[in-house]
Amino acid sequence: MSNTNAATATVTGTALELTDVRKVYTLGDGSEVVALADASLTLTSDEMIALVGPSGSGKTTLCSIAGGILSATSGSIVVGGEDISGHSAKELTKFRQEKVGFVFQSVNLVPFLTARENLLVVDELGRRTGGPARERADQLLEELGLADRAKNLPSQLSGGQRQRVAIGRALMNDPALVLFDEPTSALDTHLGEQVMELIRQEMKTRGIAAIVVTHDERITHYCDRSVHIVDGYLQS
Amino acid sequence: MKLALLELVRRPGRFATAAVILTLIAVLLMFLGGLLDGLISSSTNAIKAQSGDVIVYSESSQASFLRSRIDPELRSTVESVPGVESTGGIGIVQLGARIPGNGPRDLASVALFGYEIPPNGVPDIPADGEVWADEVLKADGVRDGMELLLGPARSPVTVIGFVKDTTFNGQGSLWASPATWRSVLADNRPDAQLADGVFQALIVVGDADPAAIAADIDATTEDATESFTVPEAVKAIPGVEEQQGVFNQIIGVTVVIALVVIALFFALLTVERTSLYGVLKALGAMSRTIFLGLVAQATVVTLVAGVIAAGLVLILDAIIPPGAIPLDVSASRIITSIVLLLVAAVVGCSFSLRRVLRVDPASAIGTGS
Amino acid sequence: MFLALKEMARAKVRFALLIGAIALLVFLILFQQSLQNELLRSFVGAIENQTAPVLVYSVDGQRVVQASVISPDLEAGIRELPSASEVGRIGQGTFTAATAAGLFDATILGYESAAVGAPTRIVDGRLPESVGEGIASDVDEKNGFGIGDTIVLEPSGYQITIVGLAANAQLNAGPTVFTTYDTYAESVAAQNPDAGTLLPNVLGVAPVEGVTDAQLVADVNEVSLDVDALTRADAADATPGVSQVRSSFRIIFLLYGLVVPCVTGLFFLIITFQKANSLTLLRAIGAPAGRLVAALLIQATIIMVAAFGIGTLLYTPVTTLELGGLTLRFETAAVIIWGAVLMSLGIASALLAARRVLAIDPIDATTGAGVGR
Repeated sequence: MSNTNAATATVTGTALELTDVRKVYTLGDGSEVVALADASLTLTSDEMIALVGPSGSGKTTLCSIAGGILSATSGSIVVGGEDISGHSAKELTKFRQEKVGFVFQSVNLVPFLTARENLLVVDELGRRTGGPARERADQLLEELGLADRAKNLPSQLSGGQRQRVAIGRALMNDPALVLFDEPTSALDTHLGEQVMELIRQEMKTRGIAAIVVTHDERITHYCDRSVHIVDGYLQS
Repeated sequence: MKLALLELVRRPGRFATAAVILTLIAVLLMFLGGLLDGLISSSTNAIKAQSGDVIVYSESSQASFLRSRIDPELRSTVESVPGVESTGGIGIVQLGARIPGNGPRDLASVALFGYEIPPNGVPDIPADGEVWADEVLKADGVRDGMELLLGPARSPVTVIGFVKDTTFNGQGSLWASPATWRSVLADNRPDAQLADGVFQALIVVGDADPAAIAADIDATTEDATESFTVPEAVKAIPGVEEQQGVFNQIIGVTVVIALVVIALFFALLTVERTSLYGVLKALGAMSRTIFLGLVAQATVVTLVAGVIAAGLVLILDAIIPPGAIPLDVSASRIITSIVLLLVAAVVGCSFSLRRVLRVDPASAIGTGS
Repeated sequence: MFLALKEMARAKVRFALLIGAIALLVFLILFQQSLQNELLRSFVGAIENQTAPVLVYSVDGQRVVQASVISPDLEAGIRELPSASEVGRIGQGTFTAATAAGLFDATILGYESAAVGAPTRIVDGRLPESVGEGIASDVDEKNGFGIGDTIVLEPSGYQITIVGLAANAQLNAGPTVFTTYDTYAESVAAQNPDAGTLLPNVLGVAPVEGVTDAQLVADVNEVSLDVDALTRADAADATPGVSQVRSSFRIIFLLYGLVVPCVTGLFFLIITFQKANSLTLLRAIGAPAGRLVAALLIQATIIMVAAFGIGTLLYTPVTTLELGGLTLRFETAAVIIWGAVLMSLGIASALLAARRVLAIDPIDATTGAGVGR
């Protein structure tokens, strides 16, 4: 599988371009909550940024919108050259299958699938290439140092190993952008650093852009730059 | 779909609970169905086996042999009807048979038929004093060559062979010549005896549409007869239609119960997996994929329950002593029960469809924060 | 109470489905109970509810009245018994009867002596006194067997006028008319001109003072091996088909009855697992274990009461139905007994989940282990 998405990003130069993105929720009593206000952000093709802010600051909202999990109220979102601003739910689903990788904070892996099968989930849900996907999965497991854990269930893996499997899964579809939601929150300092090093290494060698959502200032130095967000506003 | 089946294989425990209940319900369906089939067949096999096209009773007999009588004059009227090729007389007497080797008060219930036209599976008319016996009588100790003593008059008849599926009214049948039947009837039931040439009913073989022949016969005899096609005669046997009606209603409600139980358990299972579904949707799974996976799981669980239930019912059938319960476990009944359950499974699953649709992929991000 | 109700209000669908499933099960069980009771009543009611404490069949009759024939020798032998105070002939014929409501398979039971063979539960009118009169099963009043109605036996045209109604007096699930023996004999002769001497099917016998029914049965059986004496209750139970009906329904009730606690028990087990975290939290902040178990049992009770209530409500209109000649009725005793049985089973099954609740260690709130692991 060639690095088509990453390649496109390189050609176009940007992995992510958010312009004046707003997300407004209307509550039951009619009042409005502005989760994200006029956010504009650009990521170049292999840039890795830390998105930092306290709870409720809107960082999860921004991440969700960038990843095509949530629709914005207004604004333009272009990921890996694809404008997803007006995508329908179905189109967003396809978009996520093909262009984005996610590493969630918890409930990351499917509990009844082995490490290898967890990597193959995206292919199973989407394009079903079969052989090529299996080869890629084995290759990724090898690179992540999990070759001997391929047949283990998540319950048989350590926290760090699970995180690596999640990273492998995020890379399976060769995305233009990978979103990491608090990747080190469940890990101690030493393990957290190991994971961040691995993330940086994987992102840089493949030239994939990444957003690392975190409130942990200890790890922000692994990223190219930090972007702060408070009360829905990006601090420039 | 593959994901859903993998979950089933790797985590059978959580589906086991629903499977146990579904097995119980499947056993119920098969047992009820087998009971119905057994009741009906033991009552009606002798009629079903008739090889003719039409059965003719006399008027007001309500399709009951015991209340019907066809004398020779009426018979020739029937034979004169165009479309009637030939007629065969048939008569019955129900009594207790003394079987060598059994205790003095331990009689077998038999229905002795005198016939002219052999029913399907019954050979030609035996000589006077000889009978073909239905094989259900083997459970009472009847063997080839045995002499049975029938009724209070102890009329002797010798068994020359066995036939199957000819029971009547829950009793094993004996098939004899008209003369044998007539004399046994006269000796044992003097108040019901019939003169020579008189039969209780006629089996008619015709060369036209049976329903038309039946109507013609009744018209020609000016309603001195009540004629039925063989399937109609079966249904007309008192109790048959009612039994079918009642049992089918009970079976129907049981299927609905299965549906509700499946809906319930899969709704519970879905709730447990909302976060998993959120992750899958975030990774790009469509609601349709997830829902079909659910249906696949329900189908497999139901099939497994059905197969286990079939095994249990077959065991039940084997250990129940013959005659204790009129159970007739047939492949078609087992398959019908499983199919009904599968339909219930798929419909029951659809209760969870809305919840699956509503799972928001955004819920995958930020859980725990 | 608060916890229990709040949870149910928040998760209406699942509790509604559970109540629905149990209600349907209750309905089916009660319906089939009615069916069984009525089947047995309509098949052998006439045998159980007539005046003769002991009935004597011929062995050849195999406990079927119509198939039994008592020869003159046997009858003489029984009449001579010192322990028998009263001996009366009983004859049964099954004929097609025409009434204002149509044609019916009617059973005529002729008794020689009202002391041994007449129906016991007369609810209206009187016993027949002269030839051509009869007392009919009360459930068939609407079929043209009411007091004052005349039924006509086909094809002979022999007529019988109904002068009384008796309860639980059916035989073979059809209209049954008790007449004097003379009337019965006349009807047989009219219906079958070829008939020879008429012999009684069964004898009704009553013991002399001081002799028990069981003793009388033994004495009668001594008279000859061709004779089969039974008490009235045994005769009803031994009628072919009765034990089959009882055995079949026994299995049916067992299975349906098992499904109820299985469904409730597993339901509570699952939802307890699902709210493991909240339960652990509650324990951690000080809720006594007993309180949580009580909440569980309260839910189980509410569910069982609601389900049983709905099931019984569904059952009630069905009891006015007529199914192929069987008139169902509301079986109060069955409702009470099944109510007690099913509710105890349902609530008890929730105790399985209660055990899990009691096993929660509040410390797990801090580690996040909960009940599930």
